[in-house]
Amino acid sequence: MKKEKINKVIKHDISFKLNGKKVDCSIKGSTVLLDLLRDDLELKGTKAGCNEGECGACTVLVDDAPVNSCLYLAVNVNGKSVTTIEGLANGDGELHPVQESLVKSGAVQCGFCTSGMAMAIKAMVSQYESGQHVPGESGNNFPSREEIKKYLEGNLCRCTGYVKIVDSAEKLFSN
Amino acid sequence: MNFEIINPGTTKELLGAVNKLQKEKFRFGAGCTDLLMELKKKPEDGLTIINLSQVKDSSFSGIKKSAKGMRLGAMFTAHKIVVNEEIKNAFNVLHESAHNLASTQIRQVATVGGNLCTASPSGDIACALVALDATCEMLSTTGKRREINIKEFFIGVRTTAIGKNEVLYGIAVPANEKKTKTIHSNFIKIGTRRSMECSVVSLAYHIQVNEEGVIIKAGVSIGASAPTVRFAEEACDFLIGKKFKAISQKEKEEFAEKVLSYASPITDIRATSWYRKEVLFNISKSIFE
Repeated sequence: MKKEKINKVIKHDISFKLNGKKVDCSIKGSTVLLDLLRDDLELKGTKAGCNEGECGACTVLVDDAPVNSCLYLAVNVNGKSVTTIEGLANGDGELHPVQESLVKSGAVQCGFCTSGMAMAIKAMVSQYESGQHVPGESGNNFPSREEIKKYLEGNLCRCTGYVKIVDSAEKLFSN
Repeated sequence: MNFEIINPGTTKELLGAVNKLQKEKFRFGAGCTDLLMELKKKPEDGLTIINLSQVKDSSFSGIKKSAKGMRLGAMFTAHKIVVNEEIKNAFNVLHESAHNLASTQIRQVATVGGNLCTASPSGDIACALVALDATCEMLSTTGKRREINIKEFFIGVRTTAIGKNEVLYGIAVPANEKKTKTIHSNFIKIGTRRSMECSVVSLAYHIQVNEEGVIIKAGVSIGASAPTVRFAEEACDFLIGKKFKAISQKEKEEFAEKVLSYASPITDIRATSWYRKEVLFNISKSIFE
């Protein structure tokens, strides 16, 4: 009979802000943020698509930066602030302007990419507002259509053909 | 995927962790975008990851400018390169290489040090830094600091000159020449699509021209064309003293031939060796057009 190898699993205690609320948990060192969010904290809005950083469906914000949660070590959110699609609107029943614009533009079909798209668009808006964007483009206050496409390059959509998604982002800057 | 992780908070703790693990199997995790992909596909038993993300040390994660040039900490991210206006103005090749790396999400976390230490023949930031004649600075567990030119940093596919008891600490890029008036600096990445692409062939160049239009310093390097990123020294030497705008068709071809002499590409799923050579020849010529 094969001897069963018993590995002592070391757990790491982390504490972070999730959608504005403090969360404490104990996790394995190899846990990725996506699994922590979906499996342990049961926030299923963040989607697991390719699991290898290609599709962007799992995009969440870590301290306002859009990251692929499938390739982000959960221990690294310790002390940081994480925003998922569940925390995008402020909970008063109104959609966030990014979500509103996606809906109004008809940019949602099957919806699988939408959480990630919304988070990436939100990050783009914040980065343009704070001046943390690529220098020397479009007079610097708002992105061109090409720049929006470039920003959303890490988010795949297999339904819409992207036109309406880019439209929805463009409208946020023209208002 | 299962591994242990150590999270040093300071450089001292980091070197302590490296020292402690000298006889064990360990890897460094910087942005972890390559590493986690690799470990998801091919898990390794008994592996410890030394997580570099939590080390608080501005020399390790920040940028510093001086008269000699610019020094990036190994943990400086691709995103930080992209949004840095001074990098765009002085070293456009570095800006472009970082901007063409993977995707927005990956660039937020992917680091300069990670791109170098992965030592992929198609490393984008690596290719730009070779053209810029950068210097790599390593810290050892013995407290020794060692500097080597980036051309000596890459030994083979996924192999670098870093010792097991060393950490890549920073990368220094020399300032542009005082007499430089115009800089022709860019990164050409050829792939089968525009985003999330691993280069089929890449070419980085940083050519400095003085007031008279004469080339006074040139750095040209190629990616995805040999086991490592390569510096095309003879091609660079060939340009010195020539007027950038007066380079003839024959000279362009001669230059491209010299660049090509550093290429020994393989045929793989992305392109054939023949295709890579043809493309490299053509993009080398296109620098002057």
